[in-house]
Amino acid sequence: MKFRTWKNMIREGMRNVVRNRVMTLASIGAIMAALFVLGIIMATIINLDNIVAGLESKVEVTVYLKKGVTQGDINAVRDKINSWEGIIGVDFISKEEALENWRKEMGSKSYLLDGYNEENNPLPDTFFIRVEKPEYVENIVNNAQKLDAVDQVRYSADVVRAITSIAGTTRLIGLSIVLLLSIMSIIIINNTIKLTVYSRRREINIMKYIGATDWYIRWPFVIEGMVLGLFGAGLAGGAVAGAYALLLGKANDMGSILSIFGLLPLKDIMYPVLLVFVLIGCLIGVTASMLSIRKHLKV
Amino acid sequence: MIEFKNVSKLYGNVRALKDVNVTIGNGEFVFIVGASGAGKSTFIKLLLKEIEPTAGQIIVNNTDLSAMKRKHIPYYRRNLGVVFQDFRLLPDKTVYDNVAFAMEIVEASKKEIRRQVPAVLGLVGLASKANAYPHELSGGEQQRTSLARALANNPSILIADEPTGNLDPATAKEIMKIINVINHRGTTVIMATHAKEIVNAMKKRVITFRKGMIVSDQEKGEYFGEV
Ligand SMILES: Nc1ncnc2c1ncn2[C@@H]1O[C@H](COP(=O)(O)OP(=O)(O)O)[C@@H](O)[C@H]1O
Ligand SMILES: [Mg+2]
Repeated sequence: MKFRTWKNMIREGMRNVVRNRVMTLASIGAIMAALFVLGIIMATIINLDNIVAGLESKVEVTVYLKKGVTQGDINAVRDKINSWEGIIGVDFISKEEALENWRKEMGSKSYLLDGYNEENNPLPDTFFIRVEKPEYVENIVNNAQKLDAVDQVRYSADVVRAITSIAGTTRLIGLSIVLLLSIMSIIIINNTIKLTVYSRRREINIMKYIGATDWYIRWPFVIEGMVLGLFGAGLAGGAVAGAYALLLGKANDMGSILSIFGLLPLKDIMYPVLLVFVLIGCLIGVTASMLSIRKHLKV
Repeated sequence: MIEFKNVSKLYGNVRALKDVNVTIGNGEFVFIVGASGAGKSTFIKLLLKEIEPTAGQIIVNNTDLSAMKRKHIPYYRRNLGVVFQDFRLLPDKTVYDNVAFAMEIVEASKKEIRRQVPAVLGLVGLASKANAYPHELSGGEQQRTSLARALANNPSILIADEPTGNLDPATAKEIMKIINVINHRGTTVIMATHAKEIVNAMKKRVITFRKGMIVSDQEKGEYFGEV
């Protein structure tokens, strides 16, 4: 199409936006609501993923050995562990070192441990296994428990698993809500544009007879839909940024639980959120306008 | 050239056209006549590819309309000028803009539009009303505007469905004069009407429909059958 035609269509589309003001506001409000919810969900998931990524690098399995194991047993266990999948590193702390560490931790109260010596040391020899990903943990734990020299096995993957599952659930519930709200916005915008289409049905009919292409007729309405979508996206973006900034402020103020997790900075959240908003806002607007004009092109 | 070959059209179980065979050459002037409900508008809608025939074949300038892809319909229609009984003007546009609108749709250049619009307005005798709005015009003037719009893109065929249906006899005669001039300039004219006086005065080819069938096709014919 010619540049002049594009100019006319954009002007025509903008005119439509201004023409039915109430419905325009309703449409923008609907898109905004849908995207705002999406934004909150995205912010939550991005943060949860970040926390999980942080914790995953710290997944650790602790293996306590039985009393009275020999240096040979210890070496055998170390070799075994190193042969398993997903091992980043293995640290060994002997029961003597452990007792020494404990004493250090107790500081001035270390006299409480004076009764312990090499003979009656209550602490076990221990392996700390650093694991690449939580997926490997189960096998490692099972394998470790089968070893004769091993007394007990503990691991820290539970937290990771819980958070991963919370992120998954959030994603699922959140996206269902977003889908629902998106469909609602499509319906509302569809009706908005139908009003324009209805008020211009004569013109559309004449255009068809004169030989206007479907796209020539469609573009102003598609532009109207896109403008509604983009306005909604912009406002929702502002609202999400505002809400998130508020949350960050609160987290810093009180040194509350939130700060333990270390919330991501605003820009890390807003880049993906705005990108998705613009895409989805346009998509909703365009889908709605295409649906509303379809019937009138059949002449 | 326009050819209808064994064309039938059913609306549900209402038969609007039955087994229509007709050929219309380039530059001809043809009246399509018949009582209300005889099938005239159906004939014209088929020609515009607004509806599809139930059976048969329609060929316009060597193109089979049934085989035409949807996206080619607009380009096909640019070759046809259409006028209706109810004028179908845009009320918020001036006479000039109504005509220019037709050219904007096919993306004519500004220069072409500035040259062509006054020319067609002159042809239909409306040069002095270029800046008037449709509601400021008489019925005859509105139909002339609509004719000017139909001619704006230089169609090779002018199709008119009862163009004088809403006009008094004197005004109708004026419109017919203009249509005749258009035909003399080489445009094929196909006009559906049930105005007996007009048909009889013009001495053109007359195709008469009755209950969806062609019952008569005469050169320099007269209105035939019931009033
Ligand atoms: N869209 C339609 N649906 C059903 N029947 C129709 C439709 N259009 C026309 N008809 C019927 O087809 C027949 C021919 O109509 P039409 O071509 O409009 O006649 P004319 O233009 O000669 O008055 C009539 O019986 C009419 O009622
Ligand atoms: Mg009719």
